[in-house]
Amino acid sequence: MATATPDLGSPDELSEREQRAVEAQLFRLADDEYVQAERYTFWQVRAPTLESDLAVANNSQDELGHARLWYEAIQQFGYTEESLLFESDPDDFQHSTLVELPFEQGDWADAIVRAYLYDVAEYIRLSALEESSYEVIRNRTSRIQGEEDYHIEHARSWLERMVLDKGATERVQEALERHYSHALTIFEPVGDVEEDIEEFGIRKMTLEEMRAEWEDRVDGFLSGLGLDVPTDADVAQPTGRDNEHTEHWADLFEEMTSAYRNLGRDEATVIMDENDE
Amino acid sequence: MNMDIDEVKERAGPQEFSPKDDLPEEYRKAATRMLEFHANSEIMGAYLERPFIRKAPSLERKMAFSAKTQDEIGHGQMLYRAAEALGVKTRDEMLDDLAEGKGKFLNCFHYPMESYVETPMIAFFVDGAAMRRQATLKKSSWEPYAHAMDKICFEEGMHVKHGESILRELMNGSKKEQQMVQEAFVEWWPRILQFFGPTDDQSTHHDFAAEVGLKTCTNDELRNAFLNRYMQKAKDYGLEIPEYPRIRDNGDGTYEVVEDDLDWDEFFTVSKNEYSGSIEQINSRAEAQEAVEWVREMMDNQETTGSSPTPQAAD
Repeated sequence: MATATPDLGSPDELSEREQRAVEAQLFRLADDEYVQAERYTFWQVRAPTLESDLAVANNSQDELGHARLWYEAIQQFGYTEESLLFESDPDDFQHSTLVELPFEQGDWADAIVRAYLYDVAEYIRLSALEESSYEVIRNRTSRIQGEEDYHIEHARSWLERMVLDKGATERVQEALERHYSHALTIFEPVGDVEEDIEEFGIRKMTLEEMRAEWEDRVDGFLSGLGLDVPTDADVAQPTGRDNEHTEHWADLFEEMTSAYRNLGRDEATVIMDENDE
Repeated sequence: MNMDIDEVKERAGPQEFSPKDDLPEEYRKAATRMLEFHANSEIMGAYLERPFIRKAPSLERKMAFSAKTQDEIGHGQMLYRAAEALGVKTRDEMLDDLAEGKGKFLNCFHYPMESYVETPMIAFFVDGAAMRRQATLKKSSWEPYAHAMDKICFEEGMHVKHGESILRELMNGSKKEQQMVQEAFVEWWPRILQFFGPTDDQSTHHDFAAEVGLKTCTNDELRNAFLNRYMQKAKDYGLEIPEYPRIRDNGDGTYEVVEDDLDWDEFFTVSKNEYSGSIEQINSRAEAQEAVEWVREMMDNQETTGSSPTPQAAD
């Protein structure tokens, strides 16, 4: 893979082609985190215990915070929160379909399996961005990585616990079969921009390399727990990365933007100081 | 040494009693009733507000709603712990009672909340009212309650700021937004006034709770303190105080709410968990809790057999 690529400099120093590649990398980071967080908040005040409720809330807020960092990086190219999140169309989003699927009431195994599959992928992706040629990505990655570590640990400890119980193991296995092919969409390209992302050194691993590492880690851990990992699954269609989504996304997006529309807003409130990062 | 009620009344003062004291049942039951009510209210308040994590009209508002909801679950956790220490009921028993509709909670959390403009009715006015009461509970004679209130009051202060920020934004928004908020205010205002319960001469539990230091202020004092501050705040933000229920300003920092203008039948129906909103809120939360019962059973089994691999980390 590309080793020493020159630093791309600040947002206004990028060529058109470089900016296109940086944006493509940022959009999937932001959209994945945003939608994963939104779905995860389903479990707030619905988790099995007060303690697990607090942990879920922590993770949701971490992911919302990461989404905020990535969208803010995108806004450095002149986009606004309004245009990105509230006045856009559902098919403007490029998140993986894994993160948009709804939860069934009570399906805690789904919450944990999905979090595990996602968090491992997120961890690998961030590792590939630690030495990005784009400084804004590099700096934000290092701030996020520590929290993702904790998320993986959280999911792993729940999985270790659930496989000791026969009923819970069945639920975990089902969720794994349901989600594995959706998780693979995380490693799908968004179009012909992938080569530029690699060539410019924005990301230091190819999608194939990241997927291979993810498969290794996920298969290794889950098989070790006695689960049957569907390693021969095909990538789910649509992939989300291609701006096409399952039918669930439009409904979720509708709800996420409902108050903004009902109030007739044209501005999304920023509470925190912009420099308070 | 087993303390009798007379001794409790004699010694009653801020943070006077702790789990080390062998307190009479009457005191322990009264303190449990208060704490359980308070803890239940945190949970049911969180349940009412949770949809707005998703609906809120900005990314940072979503984060703030998520954090507020989390704080409330955390408050519930602390308060149940302070209640358990009295040895009357376990946390599981209190949570089961809440799910089964036997646990009592604050009147305002029995009403549905549909629109975003209603969120400051809770986050500003109800939380603001709660703050008045909670600040006095730092002087509760039950030390674990007083300690929990130190942390809770700090976080509630943040919640009121969050609610005030939303209210300010809405009232500085379009004409349509302002009208929507005013309508919500008219609807919620009587409930907010009833937050403090009936006037003191009608309150049944007050005397004993006051004598043993569990309550340090009367409902009337708290209602006055709230009205002094929040009527002005409401007006400052451009809200119109509804003509009814009538509130008479005594001109000396005290007010009289005309009790006959408030619907006390509804209030007592609410407080018995028999209002349509009560049933709706309680049942839909109970359903969500029932759906994850299998997880709790799994955890209980692992605790009793000692087969849990990492019992601490998995929460």
